[in-house]
Amino acid sequence: MSEPTKNTTNSIPAVKIERSFVRFTLSQRWEHWVLLLAFVVLLLTGLPQKYRATSWSQQILATPDQVAWIQTIHHIAAVVLILEVLYHLGKAIYLMARRSLPDHMFVTLKDFRDAGQMVAYLLFLRKEKPVSGKYNFEEKVTYWFIFFGVGIMLVSGLILWFPEIITRVLPGGVIPAAKLAHSTEAVVAAIFVVIWHFYHVHLQRSNLSIFTGKISEEDMQTYHTLEYERLTGDDPGESEGGSS
Amino acid sequence: MIINKLRLGLPLWITVALLATGISLAYSSHARAAQPAQETEAFCLSCHSNPELKMTLPSGEELPLYVSPEELKLSIHSPLGIECQACHTEIKAYPHPENTYSSRRDLSRAYYLSCKKCHSAIYEKAQDSMHAQVAADNPAAPVCTDCHGSHYVHKPDEPRALISSTCATCHGKVYEQYKNSIHGSALIDEDNPDVPVCTDCHGVHNIHDPRTEQFRIETPELCANCHADAELMSKYGLPANVYDLYKLSWHGVDVSVYKSRWPTIWHDSAVCTDCHGVHDIRRTDDPQSHVNASNLQGTCQQCHPGTDPNWTDAWTGHHEISLERTPWLFYVDAFYSSFTPFVLWVAGIYVILQILRATIDRARRSAR
Repeated sequence: MSEPTKNTTNSIPAVKIERSFVRFTLSQRWEHWVLLLAFVVLLLTGLPQKYRATSWSQQILATPDQVAWIQTIHHIAAVVLILEVLYHLGKAIYLMARRSLPDHMFVTLKDFRDAGQMVAYLLFLRKEKPVSGKYNFEEKVTYWFIFFGVGIMLVSGLILWFPEIITRVLPGGVIPAAKLAHSTEAVVAAIFVVIWHFYHVHLQRSNLSIFTGKISEEDMQTYHTLEYERLTGDDPGESEGGSS
Repeated sequence: MIINKLRLGLPLWITVALLATGISLAYSSHARAAQPAQETEAFCLSCHSNPELKMTLPSGEELPLYVSPEELKLSIHSPLGIECQACHTEIKAYPHPENTYSSRRDLSRAYYLSCKKCHSAIYEKAQDSMHAQVAADNPAAPVCTDCHGSHYVHKPDEPRALISSTCATCHGKVYEQYKNSIHGSALIDEDNPDVPVCTDCHGVHNIHDPRTEQFRIETPELCANCHADAELMSKYGLPANVYDLYKLSWHGVDVSVYKSRWPTIWHDSAVCTDCHGVHDIRRTDDPQSHVNASNLQGTCQQCHPGTDPNWTDAWTGHHEISLERTPWLFYVDAFYSSFTPFVLWVAGIYVILQILRATIDRARRSAR
């Protein structure tokens, strides 16, 4: 994560040297794949269940057996997502215990300031965008929104999966509440991912770092200035860039 | 020839006496010709108004042949001129043709076909019923006359409670339950015009088997016929939105899907009667009601065995979301009703601003 990788070509002297940085580790990229697939499968198998009374849903859930199938697939994807969450949290706790958890993803005061400055920039009240570290505030919003969203979905989903067991401990009223939360949060999260995350990584610019693991030096300088400066040692700016 | 004999030497006084008898006989037979014709009710009643009149059937049963002229007059048919012959088509005169029925049941099961002559549409409907279906194997299955009577046919719903007590002739156990239910007691004690009698739910002539998938899937709508009628419910201070709220519930959604997609497949999702009871429906505050708080756990456990007392609160019932009744649901609902629009508006507006700024910047750059 620390050393920039050099892609040098040997023979032609005038060639441009493209340097890139490691942005995501292999395990982080795997985590994203697992999350992405689980998210898509859960959404595709969940929405027809949410909208069971509609005719399009009934095309999919055409027989009682099909309903059972869809529910089984939903449960399998949920188990995969639970394992992913356990891995993610377990790794974070492990790193935290060793005092080596990187802090770039934590929300700081600077993020609120950045958000305000970004809005000002968008309204032509500022000339420049705020500069950010490894993760800008938009990326942090994405991460934490999904972090808590997945939390809500897993808790409410498990309540709905094992209602008889849950009510031995919790009041019965949590079940319809979990149903409402599960059903609403799913749609909110899906729409959020589409308008927020898809815009930022597909439309604004094609940002495929999460799949390649790499980020070009140019992008690093433009979008993660503070992180670039921290890693290259050039012109150390604000301290928020993070020190691992 | 008698005259010839007389002439051959009987004394005159005997001749005179015989002649007088003959004339009086002839006269009386003339008088008989003025009596009612053989086809008329009056003629039939000249014998059948005798309370002692009866015959013994081959089965050994006694068949009373008495018809009360007074009661006949009060029935529907007789005053309309529909007399004995309308139904007793094979008996045209006296003496009657020989009896071909071995038992009283035999006779009823043959005679009710006469109803078809005039009431053919209803007869056809009844052929579609559960009663007609079982009639092949069960001679006790009711035919028209068992419910409506034979000679003394009256309006079947005057008073309304008569309908249910007619069914009770055979369905006594069910009637006992119904009698004490909220519907039955209002019918019997108050002659309530709104509560359902047997036929309101089961149908009149085409009574179907209520144990089928089809009957089960139609049950919520059957109840909704009255319980979603705001005007009717307001009369009794009952909410009319129970059906709409049920349709949103877990059970209700399931049932609506089965109804629209798989009406012929048995489903186990609860319909009204699974919780409230069938014939023994009571007010929810009646301690004997299946859905009274004291019995609710047991009612849930019919389908959800082994569930904890907490479980009953999972059913939000037929009530709107409220802080008092469903606090968990209330808070989640309150959270999402502000969180959802907040997230979508903020994310949407932010992204739109980004698109605008990027587009304007690009346009400026290319204009330069």
